This record gives sequence, C-alpha cells and structure tokens, in this order.
Amino acid sequence: MRDVTRSLKSVLALQKAFLAILLVLIAMAVFNLFPATNSQFFSQPNFIDLLKSSSIVLILAMGETVVLIAAGVDLSIGGMMALAGVVVLQMINGGVPIPAAILLTLLLGLVVGAINAFISVYQKAEPFIITLGMGIALTGIGQHLTNAHPVTSSVQDFANIANFEILGPVPILVVFMLVVVGAIYWMLRTTSFGRNVYAVGGDYDVAKYSGINVLRTKAATYLICAFTASLAGIMLASQLNSASSIAGDNTPLYVVCAVVVGGTSVAGGVGGAIKSAIGLILLGLLTNAFQMLRIDSLVSYLPQGLLGVIIVSILWLDSYGRKRRREAV
Amino acid sequence: MSAATKPAEGRTTLQAIFAFLKNNPIFVAIAVLAIVTSVREPKFLTTENLDNIVRQFGVLIFAALGMTFVIMAGFIDLSIGGIISLVAVVTVTLIDKVGQGPAILIGLSVGLGCGLLNSALILTSGALTQAESLFITYGMSLVFGAVALMYTQGVTQFLTYSSSDISIFNAINSGGFGPLSVSAIMFIVALGILYTIERRTYMGRAVVLTGGNKVAARLAGIPISRSIVLIYGVSGLMSAIGAVVLVSRVTLADPTMGGPWMTQAILAVVVGGTALIGGRGSVLWTVFGALLLILLNNCLNLWEVSSYVQFMLRGVILILAIWLDTAKQNSVSK
Repeated sequence: MRDVTRSLKSVLALQKAFLAILLVLIAMAVFNLFPATNSQFFSQPNFIDLLKSSSIVLILAMGETVVLIAAGVDLSIGGMMALAGVVVLQMINGGVPIPAAILLTLLLGLVVGAINAFISVYQKAEPFIITLGMGIALTGIGQHLTNAHPVTSSVQDFANIANFEILGPVPILVVFMLVVVGAIYWMLRTTSFGRNVYAVGGDYDVAKYSGINVLRTKAATYLICAFTASLAGIMLASQLNSASSIAGDNTPLYVVCAVVVGGTSVAGGVGGAIKSAIGLILLGLLTNAFQMLRIDSLVSYLPQGLLGVIIVSILWLDSYGRKRRREAV
Repeated sequence: MSAATKPAEGRTTLQAIFAFLKNNPIFVAIAVLAIVTSVREPKFLTTENLDNIVRQFGVLIFAALGMTFVIMAGFIDLSIGGIISLVAVVTVTLIDKVGQGPAILIGLSVGLGCGLLNSALILTSGALTQAESLFITYGMSLVFGAVALMYTQGVTQFLTYSSSDISIFNAINSGGFGPLSVSAIMFIVALGILYTIERRTYMGRAVVLTGGNKVAARLAGIPISRSIVLIYGVSGLMSAIGAVVLVSRVTLADPTMGGPWMTQAILAVVVGGTALIGGRGSVLWTVFGALLLILLNNCLNLWEVSSYVQFMLRGVILILAIWLDTAKQNSVSK
C-alpha cells in the first residue's frame, strides 16, 4: 500500500499539465458546463464501465511496461490481442474444450513473442519496426481466418470467464486484472529477473559487463508482453463473446502513451507496474470525461483527433524531459 | 544494396556482373518476379497491365521518395497517411471555390505545413531517436486524419462532381508527351531534384551524416536542426504531390484514403536498401524498392491472392527486409 501511494505521488508530480487538463474536464463533466449534455460522470454504472474497459487495456499495459523498462518496445500487441480473440473463439466454436483452447492461444502468444524476441533481440533489428510489421502480419492472419467478419460464439461457459459477477456488479475480469498487475509488480520489485530488467534498460553495456545475461533478459520481456497481449485478447473475446480481427487497431500506441503517462520512459530503465496502472486510469478518465461531455456529438470525429493530440503532447513532454536532463548534465 | 562494385583486375565482365548482382539482389528479385509472373500469367505482359503498374507506381513513388530522406536521417514519418488524406480532401473541396490551380497549390502548402509542424514538434521536444519520432508522427497521423474527417464530416468528395474545370487532374491522370505520361515526367523531375539535393548539396550530405551518428554529427557542426526541418518538409510536400496524383487517378478524395500508403512507402524505402537506422541510402534505390513492391502486388493480384493475405505478406516482408538488412550490417561490422 505504501508503494501505491508513493507511485501515485510521483505520477501526480510528473504529469502536472496533464492533471490540470483532466481536472478541468472532470469539473466540466460534473457541473454540466456544456449545454445539452446531461453528464453522469459520478454514477455507479459509469465507474463499473470504466473499470471493465480499463481492465483489458491494463492487462496489455503490464506486458508493455516490462518491455519498455528494458528499453524495447512492442507495437504488435494490438494485432496479437485481436488474433488471440479470433483464434480462441474459432477453436471453441470448432469444438475444442475451453481450457485447451485458452492454453493453445496463450502458447500462440508465446510463439509470437519468441519470434519478436529472436529478430529484435538476438538479431539486433530495430524492435519497433519489427513489431509494427508483426502487428500488420498478425492482423492480416486474423482477417484471413475470419474473412474480416466478426466471430461470435454462443458458448455461455466461455463468456462467464470474464463476465461472471462476483461482487455486486463487479465482474471476475477485474480479479484477473488485479492478479496480472500483482504478478508483474511482484516480478519487477522482488525477483532478480525484475532487477535485471531495470539494469538492462538503464544501461545495456553496464548490465552486460556486470554479468547479466542481457540477451535472455530482453528476450524474456517480449515473451511476457506477447503472453499478456494474448491473455487480453482471450479476456476481450470472453467479455464480448465475439472477436474482430481489427479490434487492436490503435491499441499499441494508446497503451504506450498510458504507460508513459505513468512515468515509464520510452528510453527505458524507469517505471513500474503500479505507475503504469495509474497512468492508464488517468488516461481512461480523460477519454471517459470526453465521452461524458458528449464532445463527440458536437464534432463527430473529434475523439480520434484528441487522442492524437494527447499522444503527441505526452510523448513530446517525455522527450522534452529527457532533453532537459541531457542539457542539465 | 551497396555501392556498385568496380570490375577488378583480371575479372571478366561476366564475373563483374555476377558480383554486382550478388551485392544488389533487388535486381535479381525484380527480374525473377517479372519472368515468373509473365510465364505463369500471360495477362502480365499486356499493355493494360503494364499501364496499371506504371499508374500504381505513380502514387507510391512520391510518398516513398520523401520518406527516403526521413529514413536516411535516422528518423521516421508515420504521418504521411494522414497528410495524404488531408491534402486530398482539401484539394478536391477547394476546386469549386478557388479553381483548380490554386486548389492544388493550397493542397501542396497544407502538405508542406503538416511536414513542418512535425519537424517543429520533433525539434522542440529534442527527440533524437527513431522511436521518439515514430510516436510523435503516429499521433500526428491521427490528428491529420481527424482533421480530414471533421473537414468533410466523413463524406467522400468526388472530383467528377465538381462543376469547375478539372483539366489539370485529367492531364495528370491520362495526359502525356509522346510515350511519357505526365505523372512519369513529374516523377523524373522530382527524382532529379531530390537526387541532386542528396548527392550535390551541403544539406543533402548533412541529412546522411545526421543519420550516420547524431552525436558525432552535432559535435562536427552539422546543422541537425535544419536537416530535420528539411526531411519532414520534403516528406510532407512529396506526400502532398502523391495525394494530388492519387486524386487524379481515382477521381475522388476520401478522408481515410491515405492509410495504406504509409506502410507501403516505408516498405519501398527499406526494400530498396536504405538502412532503417539511417546514414545509408539513396532516393535512387527507393525507385527499385517501389518497383519491386508494385510488381509483387500486381503478381499477387493476377494470381488472385486474397487481399487479407496480401496485407499479412506486407508485414512479413517488412520484418524480413529489416532482419536481412540488419544481418548484413552485423556481418559487415564484425
């Protein structure tokens, strides 16, 4: 708990400008400053909705956090999530038992992670273009499997995996999310592997000469990321009981952006699971406030543009902070 | 593709040709692809199909030439899809209001302005790595695309519906002098200018040196900031020209039409042999990269491969091209 408060403090100190925008927007939503909008920002259904929609992205963000801390990047998580959803549903529709279908899909995630790791870590190719290409390839495979139609399932047992309500309206998906966040937090903070991830991201050469197996550590981060991405895909498919091959279109950049809001840098070496979770919740609140304000009904295509503006400004600030530190040294 | 090998003492011309082809496998790939396709599919060598190839090449090449400068300097520009969409809708909607000439000029200025905006964001943030420029330009791509959507309210604009004169667009699409079409002339002029900038001017050298090693370039007094302005300006302007050619060809402007061209342009540059890490490349190589890609698309279409599989192959080719290039670099540096 002490670590949560500390992370919260550090994120709040880091993202002052962002917080200011957020507070103004929430205030506007709460006090109905826009005419003709009847906001329900502070209502239980809205928060449950927010929790549900954040849970899947949070699972994705945990893997991405580990990769970013190790100074890598994985932009294939959108394609991986979409493909995992398609594959798991098609297997279940084809009569494969649910546990076997889930295990095989997670295995598929690990295989994709291994390919990413092999080419970008062992062959030393630029990870973001490799994983961008991988995302395109995975989306293409998903489209080929489904003919670009959404896949639906009528197996109620599978839908229950994410939707079963355990505590009032809170679904079990939230528990899965908390387990993943807890596992990544535990791994980064208490295991030697976690320390190695920070060391590799902080200074690759120093880590190498300190005797850390840098290649294996970096490779493992890609495996973890692809694993969480396929888990997120399975959860999304279960939540909606349907899957689409283009579900993950803008996801990778949104996730990277949220992780950076939380204080993980795209240059590696800093960050943490709790911080990323806070960053994601802040960004989720912002998008939610936009929706509550019904800004989108004023100008129908604003949300996409605003997402772009937010991504640009947050990553601009991240780069700018590094520039300031470089100049200070 | 590395520099052309000179025939050494005692080697026959034939050996020299083999050595050249070994160093430049792209020519082998283009030749093999053309031969295999024309043998298996007689439709390949019809005038209609060749004309089709030239036209497809016409749109891709402009965006890819601009992208070459960005990648040579060790950066990347993911915003060209958004720029192409925005320029296309702005140009088409303005024809009725200001006439076709000014509409095209305004469209090109919008493209240039978008490119300069990218460079301003990258300069002020002090982004030095390709990853940082990737994220910023990706965000800008969403912004440009959203502006295009808001501007048109998502409605496709038809060039043929405009009541004014659209002779320039018709000329770009189908006009020509002798065997050369107008878009081919535009391509040759653009290639000539960009090649001259790249090889014969100080700024051209500065761009390549920036890509080679940014820290060393800064310490050596290379104007990195001006290089960044130049590459993103060129990229924006070239995408805008590509957008005008695209509009002329398909006679409509859709606020999402630019999307696919971004990956295609990066692919053309990388397949051509320009190193993604910067510091090595040429607009001339990109021409062959684009040619290979268009041939591949054409051959897959002739063989009726589904568009989803083609989409998947694009990702696979991107991965393979970069992997092979990195492997080559690693073996050279060892």
